[in-house]
Amino acid sequence: MRFVLRRLGFFVVTLWAAITLNFLIPRLMPGNAALSMMSRYKGHINPNAMHALEVAFGIKTHESLVHAYFTYIGNIARLHFGISLTFFPDTVTHQVLQALPWTLALVGTTTILAFILGTLIGLVAAWRRGGVLDGVLPPIFVITSAFPYFWLALLAIWLFSIKLGWFAESGGYDVTTTVAWSWAFVSDAFRHSVLPAVTILVTSIGGWILTMRNNTITVLAEDYVRMARAKGLSPWRIMWHYAGRNAILPNLTGFAMSLGFVVSGAILVEFVFNYPGVGWMFLQSVENQDYALMQALFLMITVAVLIAILAADGATAILDPRTRDRS
Amino acid sequence: MSEPLLRTEGLTRHFRVGKLFSRQVLHAVDEVNFTIGRGEIVALVGESGSGKSTIARLLARVYKPTSGEIYFEGRPLSSIRRRKERLAYASDVPMVFQDPYSSINPAYRVSHGIRRALRLHRKGLGRPEVERLLGEVGLVPPGKLAGKFPHELSGGQRQRVGFAQALAFSPKLIIADEPVSMLDVSIRIGLLNLMSELREREGVSFLYITHDVASARYIADSVLVMYAGHLVEEGPTEDVIQRPKHPYTQLLLSAVPDPRAPLGVSDAADVGEPPKVVNPKEGCRFQPRCPYAIAECETVTPLLRPLGPQRLAACHVAEADVGEPAA
Amino acid sequence: MTLPSAAEAVVEPLEITRRPGADLWRAVAGNRKAVAGVLLLAFFLVLAIFPGQIAPYSGTAEDFGRGLGPSSAHWFGTTAYGQDVLSQLISGTRQSIIIAFAVGGLATAIAVLVGVSAAYLGGVADGVLSLITDVILVIPIFPLIIVIAAYERNSGLFTLVVVLGALGWSYGARQLRSQTLSLRSRDFLEAARVRGERRFYVIVFEIIPTMTSLIVASFLGAALYAVLFAAGLQFIGLGDPNSQSWGTMLYWAENNEALGAGMVYWAIMPGVCVALLGAAFALLNYAFDEISNPALRLRRLERKAAQELEPAPAVAAAPDSEKILEVRGLSVAYASDDGPVVAVDNVDLDLRRGEFLGIVGESGCGKSTLLYAIARLLGAPLAGEITGGQVLFKGRNMVSMTERELRAIRWREYSVVMQSAMNALNPVLTVEAQMRDALKAHSDLSKREIEKRSKEVLRLVSIDPVHLHSYPHQLSGGMRQRAMIAMALLFTPDLIIMDEPTSALDVVAQRSLMVQIKELQERLGFAVIFVTHDMSLVSHFSDRLLVMYAAQVAEFGKTRQLFDKPLHPYTQGLLEAFPSIRGENMRLVGIPGHPPDLLRPPAGCRFAARCPHAHERCAIAPPLYDVEGDLVRCVLYEHDREAVAAR
Repeated sequence: MRFVLRRLGFFVVTLWAAITLNFLIPRLMPGNAALSMMSRYKGHINPNAMHALEVAFGIKTHESLVHAYFTYIGNIARLHFGISLTFFPDTVTHQVLQALPWTLALVGTTTILAFILGTLIGLVAAWRRGGVLDGVLPPIFVITSAFPYFWLALLAIWLFSIKLGWFAESGGYDVTTTVAWSWAFVSDAFRHSVLPAVTILVTSIGGWILTMRNNTITVLAEDYVRMARAKGLSPWRIMWHYAGRNAILPNLTGFAMSLGFVVSGAILVEFVFNYPGVGWMFLQSVENQDYALMQALFLMITVAVLIAILAADGATAILDPRTRDRS
Repeated sequence: MSEPLLRTEGLTRHFRVGKLFSRQVLHAVDEVNFTIGRGEIVALVGESGSGKSTIARLLARVYKPTSGEIYFEGRPLSSIRRRKERLAYASDVPMVFQDPYSSINPAYRVSHGIRRALRLHRKGLGRPEVERLLGEVGLVPPGKLAGKFPHELSGGQRQRVGFAQALAFSPKLIIADEPVSMLDVSIRIGLLNLMSELREREGVSFLYITHDVASARYIADSVLVMYAGHLVEEGPTEDVIQRPKHPYTQLLLSAVPDPRAPLGVSDAADVGEPPKVVNPKEGCRFQPRCPYAIAECETVTPLLRPLGPQRLAACHVAEADVGEPAA
Repeated sequence: MTLPSAAEAVVEPLEITRRPGADLWRAVAGNRKAVAGVLLLAFFLVLAIFPGQIAPYSGTAEDFGRGLGPSSAHWFGTTAYGQDVLSQLISGTRQSIIIAFAVGGLATAIAVLVGVSAAYLGGVADGVLSLITDVILVIPIFPLIIVIAAYERNSGLFTLVVVLGALGWSYGARQLRSQTLSLRSRDFLEAARVRGERRFYVIVFEIIPTMTSLIVASFLGAALYAVLFAAGLQFIGLGDPNSQSWGTMLYWAENNEALGAGMVYWAIMPGVCVALLGAAFALLNYAFDEISNPALRLRRLERKAAQELEPAPAVAAAPDSEKILEVRGLSVAYASDDGPVVAVDNVDLDLRRGEFLGIVGESGCGKSTLLYAIARLLGAPLAGEITGGQVLFKGRNMVSMTERELRAIRWREYSVVMQSAMNALNPVLTVEAQMRDALKAHSDLSKREIEKRSKEVLRLVSIDPVHLHSYPHQLSGGMRQRAMIAMALLFTPDLIIMDEPTSALDVVAQRSLMVQIKELQERLGFAVIFVTHDMSLVSHFSDRLLVMYAAQVAEFGKTRQLFDKPLHPYTQGLLEAFPSIRGENMRLVGIPGHPPDLLRPPAGCRFAARCPHAHERCAIAPPLYDVEGDLVRCVLYEHDREAVAAR
């Protein structure tokens, strides 16, 4: 229980840090890009919304910093992120919620898939030490883990879309199809997401495979694995309950820590494929100086990462009885 | 009687354990009084958890006493304030550690620690002194060995380096914290002999901390027996070993395997373990395992009382030597 | 008592021919990934330092035709602005290299500062620093940098380096912190503190030098991250679009729809360069991991054709039914970094039903390897292979049995108790689950019967059955050890093999555990092989004793006989090396010197270098002689009795 509380506390602190960064950065930057952005809103939105923007970006300096800060936090707590410039006059909140499902579907599922597959492959590779899997995979994946995501995306587009014409070149779906839960739409969306998904999968799986393999090798050298062999347990049982369950623990921590990397890659992949997810929208907002939208998306991304980390922590607590006893 | 080299009075050290606001206090050392004379080897015998390592660290000023005082050459350690005085004490009372594999910095040659000791405490002495010290502890040829890295030496050799490091200070008292327990049996004697020799040649006193009663008997002039944070018996070595008064000392001695003793040992298997002394009540801490316990033992903590010439034991039931009144 | 002079303690240093610096070079050169990484990196370094000399044209010159395909004049064609792609690639190298090294250096420096200080200072400082580290670790860096760049576009190289460096240190800091924490208990740090070193000195000169491999790994990781992130930022247009770099090339290519327009190389090649430079760092990082973690290195034992393992007969000639175990000529070797090492050399032993055999010897003599070879449990981390001999257990040769056949008899017929039960019990399973594992693997007992049996064996070793539901870390050291013994008794096997089960215990607990083991043995009738370095302890309980020295049997006979009349000079020396609490307190000598290096063992008697009775005959490897039932490998007895066999 203490463990859970500590992690929740960490969640809150990090969220607070992200919010504060959002608040401070525009004020710390030289020049005032926000001012030029604000002028585009003038006359188009109501005074309340205007005021909220001023607070968020520190335009009217007669308000004290502290006061502005708390107003800002108050707005965020009520999910008042403002009105988006890019999608004017739609609210930021609404737009974010539109993009979210696309990203969850693409990035969420591929990341989880990559983690699970990578962990399994790493486990088997280490188990069959010296085998084909173990000899061939590590060097290959060491190299692929260094590939820039977006470059692989470009390669994929070139090869599979332009040259071979197998998959769609960009977008989340064909713009001529109506957006609905129809088979036509869903299958179309699916076809559009294959390439981005494969890109993310191929680049991120390498890291999981390698770390799991290394962890498993270390665990296999432990005394309790030798005990399991001495007890005459089946190799399957040893691999799962003795090696696997212990080797995956540091991998879960590693998962949490490398999420930042995965997220950055996902943003670029969405960008290259024009896939209408959170990452793509994030970059659009930067392009358009739509700072209100940008800030909200930044927070969203941070929250997503934090939730994933909490989930990993929860899994660790379930799998490792020692964490529950630690103060 | 002249002032002994080192004297402790009511030496006590407690640690707060458990979670942040817990009231659990671990009584590592409670009310320990003993003296060490010039050129004397005193053995501090006890099992893990008895507090002997804590006493070593109290004497080395790694910890400050919770209460009580340590007097070195008549001056209380608590009066040491300035860096100069601290350095002076550190050079008078250095420590030799238990683990030959972690007591020397693996990144440097073995002469490193000796050099640093000389630089801090006996400036102006360089390479010739390093070689002289290595020779003193039996590491020859000293010139060649001074340039070796720790992983190139055996465990026994590394412990000798540890002694050389201590000797570099030109010390009056060396605290040897289980210096031979991690070495092979055939090597131990060499180091124990070295300690005797250093006492004869240089007049250095030793506080020899160990769980091995037999080695204590081999070199020590007097023996202190610790149990669960208390000093339970003390006296000249031969006397304590041959005529132990405290039931714990008797148990300890009976458990020592002796190749020269006849076979057929089957004492009642005592499955007790020394207690973790957290928030202890009054009463003798050995009472749960003591075959001689009486009602008083449960409620009144026994104090060290004289039971013979220079003989003390903390037990309600122990008998004095013939001719001495039972106090 | 008279004192030994310093000369008696003369010790010959171990012969090491290489210095540790040379060690690293050898390790790197021998590792293919490291070599590949170094070569790649060197390649890019050369390009970065000498772009003018290598590139065919200037990177910015727009003199050539636009969008040309590859040709001999332009290996990778030209851009939409008429620049030569190859030249741009080459001149773009410098920026990537600068970013990699500058950010790597900056991030590593901060990581070292924060990580080491946090761990060393502890307390509140540690709490605060760790919190900051974790928060920065979690907040996604790339989006954060984008947010910063959004307000201030066209940031130059310097800003990029500073921002990347200021945000990319957290992973390294975490690792350095945990490494420092584990170092905190190392005595040499305490020694430094105790001798009066200042804190700053300890951190910089005592702690950091021991973590060089971690620092290098941190640097490589940071460099990799810098290269990838910088390229990504430039690609989406947040860098300086006029700079010469791979990322900017990709940006312009994307803006000109290079892929669709057929300018494929322009769009792809900069990415290839990023990937290759990144790969160089990744390879080096991985190789470093392997070099510093020996467990990750796979070494194969090479066997020369002549030494091929002869197919041993499944059932030996005339097995003695009285004997439950017969080991004949067992040899074990493993592959070390410097070549094959024979850890067990031609060992013979036998064991009768219900007999208690002690195997004693010092560290490195091969006793544990022998034990695990008998139990067919070699493998990581011992990593040895049986290279010859037979192990006849109840008449069947275990060496020639397959894993499946072995599995059938494991635990039922023989079980194992290992040293240090903290590690030998699976930390994520309860005691009950671990007993159930074994029971289910070899029997068909119902759930209730399993529980019953588990409680039964716990009671045998005086553990309250309520602890069935505990995890290993919740039990005390002594209890864990006894739980292991209980587990070994689940099937009441005929043989229990014990590897130093009492070494981690205090002397009183040791004694009571030994007594308990002996009692159980007498009650249930199993045979025991007990490996230990503590000869005096085991002597009270063993029927026979086998003394090992330098991978060979030195002496083997009835315990009492061995103690009353030790024949081998090593055994004599060992017995002399135990101070006693009874009898006269005599001066002892011990055995000066140390055992031979098993990589290159001496040709003759292996103990000769330390033996007080050594003479010329010792140059020939002595066989085992039988002296009144006591087997001894010493040339002193060659004339008394006949040799047992030419071994």
